[in-house]
Amino acid sequence: MSASPQALEFEALKFRRAPVVRTVSVLIGVGLPVLAAAFMVAATSDGSSQIGLKAAAMLTSTGWTGYFAMVGMLLSVGALMGIGFVVCWCFGREFTEKTQACLYALPVSRRRLAYAKFTVILLWSLVLCLVTVALALLAGGIIGLGMPGPEDLVVAGKAWCAGALAALLACPLAVVASVARGYLPGVGGLVLLVVITQVVTAFGTGAWFPYAAPGLWMGMGGPAAAETVSPLQLLLCVPVSVLGIAVTGQWWKNMEISAG
Amino acid sequence: MTTPASLRAERISTALGGLTVLDDVSLNVGPSEIHALVGLNGAGKTTLMRILLGMLTPDLGTAHLTGVRVCAAGERVWSRVGQMLETPFAYPELTARENVYSSARLHGMGRDAAGAAAARALTALSLDHYASRRAGTLSLGNRQRVGLAAALVHGPDVLVLDEPTNALDPRGVVDLRRILQEASRERGAAILVSSHHLDEVARMADRISVLHRGRILGTLQPGSVDLERRFFDLVLQSDLQEQEQ
Repeated sequence: MSASPQALEFEALKFRRAPVVRTVSVLIGVGLPVLAAAFMVAATSDGSSQIGLKAAAMLTSTGWTGYFAMVGMLLSVGALMGIGFVVCWCFGREFTEKTQACLYALPVSRRRLAYAKFTVILLWSLVLCLVTVALALLAGGIIGLGMPGPEDLVVAGKAWCAGALAALLACPLAVVASVARGYLPGVGGLVLLVVITQVVTAFGTGAWFPYAAPGLWMGMGGPAAAETVSPLQLLLCVPVSVLGIAVTGQWWKNMEISAG
Repeated sequence: MTTPASLRAERISTALGGLTVLDDVSLNVGPSEIHALVGLNGAGKTTLMRILLGMLTPDLGTAHLTGVRVCAAGERVWSRVGQMLETPFAYPELTARENVYSSARLHGMGRDAAGAAAARALTALSLDHYASRRAGTLSLGNRQRVGLAAALVHGPDVLVLDEPTNALDPRGVVDLRRILQEASRERGAAILVSSHHLDEVARMADRISVLHRGRILGTLQPGSVDLERRFFDLVLQSDLQEQEQ
């Protein structure tokens, strides 16, 4: 699973210039820390407003630890949605905009081009999650949480991991966008995944479902449920992602243009 | 030693959605030849070109590029090929220069060589003024020029262009004709061009094949004065034969 330097350069250039990527970067990188800080303020305010009570219910503990856990919860869902959308767009746009014919008759194989897309998306995702956590740290300081301790930074690291796992889990959506030849079916697949995740979690088996495990680990099902999520259950995200990447690569290698 | 440029379709038949699109089509384009494929809409021109470029596997028959079967073609073969089918290589978020440069890089050129080749290709297609503009903001004709520059930037000696003069202004048509004739003469390129416009291809092609309802009906000499009549004679004759059967 390697991408040629030319393919990487080409995909990185398209990615950097894409308005969709810029929008999602701002929504996740800035929107999530602001949302987390707002929830934290609402949860810790003295009032008994509806939103304050609901935000307080999301907190797994007090101070920085609870705040970073909330950032992790938001990242596990927000990153899956945002990065998932970018994955669908990156692969599906070649069909929607009918540019897939440009990817034939090249010395660089289409499989390598697909891997280059994944490489660029995953690198961007890791940096984006890091920026999100860093901005969350800044926002936490602004709302008066003081200085975080070493144990708080461990939770910040967990929040980053939850985002990174969500990025890995977004990769299989490329299969839907490629096979259905468009980004909208991929987005449909993303919505379906979120619904399935809710149902599986409601049945109490979320820890074994890779799309639910990162959120549960960050405390979405409460502190007790977070404790039960094992490293093995979290690591299931990796084979799911690798399988999605491999299937997409193989599909891109064999894909043909017969219509249009 | 490099094998001479050539394109060959050998007894190709294919059906799409239960409908025969190509029926026993054979075609040979040799070095230093500009071969035009003309036909009405739905004749099968694009499908034949897709097969020649490995975008579609035919039900029967084989396609060859520079003597190598398309299904077995590797890096060395594809680096000699330039193509423009369906949509031009003009990603809307990239500038004209970036599009052409990217095509050069994907065809294996080094960074410096790709930059210089992109500049030359943009000049050859009168795109200098638009080089820094995003392709998405260009007119249809200029996007077509960007696609042509991207197809030609690496100096291919096998070219497959589907209706390349679409949306081009008269200057663009003249530029393209000059570039293709130079490529054929100087590099010994084998060029396959499709078009609806007989008068246009008559000026650039060495040979014209008429494709109708998935079959090659015959060839026309570009120099003939009554090219249009001959074309319709072939088409109508074929339609009549089909009706009788």
